[in-house]
Amino acid sequence: MNVARIVIEVVILIYIGSLFLYIVRLIRGPTLFDKVIAVDAFSYDLMVFMALIAIYTENPYIASPMILVALWTFALDTYISKIVEYGDIGE
Amino acid sequence: MNSVDFLLLIVEFIGLALVSLGAFFEIVAAIGVLRLPNFYTRVHAATIGAVGGTVLPLIGIAFLAISRHGVDPSSIYLVILCIASAVLILVIAPTGSHVLMRSAYIYEKRREKIEGGRGR
Repeated sequence: MNVARIVIEVVILIYIGSLFLYIVRLIRGPTLFDKVIAVDAFSYDLMVFMALIAIYTENPYIASPMILVALWTFALDTYISKIVEYGDIGE
Repeated sequence: MNSVDFLLLIVEFIGLALVSLGAFFEIVAAIGVLRLPNFYTRVHAATIGAVGGTVLPLIGIAFLAISRHGVDPSSIYLVILCIASAVLILVIAPTGSHVLMRSAYIYEKRREKIEGGRGR
């Protein structure tokens, strides 16, 4: 039990560090697509972070917005690519 | 230690191993997104972070939730949520990366065409 808590704490710290690295790429990104791919990776990282907090505090309802974050990320990808490609979101 | 406790210990070990492996993939993906030279290689690194760094830890968290509480409603909620999110990410993360990379390639070719036409 104790070993599991220590491992989960270390993994949570690694995910927080990855969030900061993605924020650096989001600010520095030279083109629009770099920024969008940084937001993608940031969102997937945030999903796992929410699930880890839920298992660490033993409150599973913290992890409820995971599917919403995933679907918003996919919507961002398709919207940006359709606007760049066709000049419109379309039907 | 009876057999049920031993089984829960094995399930917890599998969950911790999957979460640790996912953390390794995630830090590799973050360093890759920060350090690689152009957009296409950065998409490669971000896709490592999507599949290796998100799907594996979510399945591992499902195992950990089973080993924490056994079968009761709160852990079953977390298990179903994690498995559904993992399957969803496994479908939509490569699709989103591919769509974005295709539009970046088309944008680049269009810019080259416009600048070549202006040069002539």
